[in-house]
Amino acid sequence: MDWTWFHKWGSPKWFYELSGKWLPWLVGAMVTCLLIGVTWALLFVPQDYQQGLTNRIFYVHVPVASISLAFFPLMAMAGTIFLVWRMKLADVVVKVAAPLGAWFTALALASGSIWGVDTWGTWWVWDGRLTSLLLQFFLLLGVVSLRTALEDSEGAARACALLSIVGCINVVVIKYSVDWWNTLHQPSTNFTLATDQANGPEIWVPLIFMIVAVYLFFAISLILSTRNEILQREKRAQWVRDLVAKS
Amino acid sequence: MQFSNFQEFIEMGGYAFNVWSVYGMFLIFLTINLYGPLRKNRQIIRDLKRRYALNAQVPPMPARAGSQSSPGLETTVEERA
Repeated sequence: MDWTWFHKWGSPKWFYELSGKWLPWLVGAMVTCLLIGVTWALLFVPQDYQQGLTNRIFYVHVPVASISLAFFPLMAMAGTIFLVWRMKLADVVVKVAAPLGAWFTALALASGSIWGVDTWGTWWVWDGRLTSLLLQFFLLLGVVSLRTALEDSEGAARACALLSIVGCINVVVIKYSVDWWNTLHQPSTNFTLATDQANGPEIWVPLIFMIVAVYLFFAISLILSTRNEILQREKRAQWVRDLVAKS
Repeated sequence: MQFSNFQEFIEMGGYAFNVWSVYGMFLIFLTINLYGPLRKNRQIIRDLKRRYALNAQVPPMPARAGSQSSPGLETTVEERA
């Protein structure tokens, strides 16, 4: 098998150049999906027969909350690559993903809370889903502070990779919490293609646009931060000198 | 379209606070996590420019020391010859 792709991907210079070419396309696709999704969700989605117009919150809460679950698996994958193959770029991903993940988790919690205050009648309950998501928020803050707390950067990188792998257990708990404990948070919804059902395409098509937009945003923000971290770590390299001289 | 006029759209069926605060937070969240890294990128490039300019002013000391030792080597080679 040809492994050159693996070494290429590990090369910060190669990643910096390639991601620079991708970024305009990703931003264009994100803005398009976001405009369609937000306009559709706010103006055209029919009212819920119980929740009224608070169902608009669904189109922010669900994409952000579901993508917040992708952070620990992503960081665990990157962490494993770093631990096994010593790929520096993988450690950069672990480092920049943690604070972004904390932002996603915080917004998922806050938007859920504001949704719940009128539909559930409370800002917060200690139910399985909410508690495990709050735990994820603190775990992500833990990964962020672990790196700043340890002076030895190699040791800190290894500790963060390890914590990312362990943190995946919590993702499983978050995912299945609504099935294991039957409290306030509803179980995941099955959407259907049939137009006569309550959860037909008029509900889920705008959701697809929002999920794609938030996924693209996640990728763009992660790539931008990765590029910044690469510049700082590679400041002695000739290609960074050339790049700085050109800009 | 679920609204007949702009006033109705703003009122959101009595849920103006809930809907607009969530969409407002979403907008802040998008702005911070896109504008933040972009601003940091400009700052890093500015700092590196200054750093490289400073390094260029300082004469590279170890290289001079290396070049001073080479004549000595040459003489020994000549002596051997």
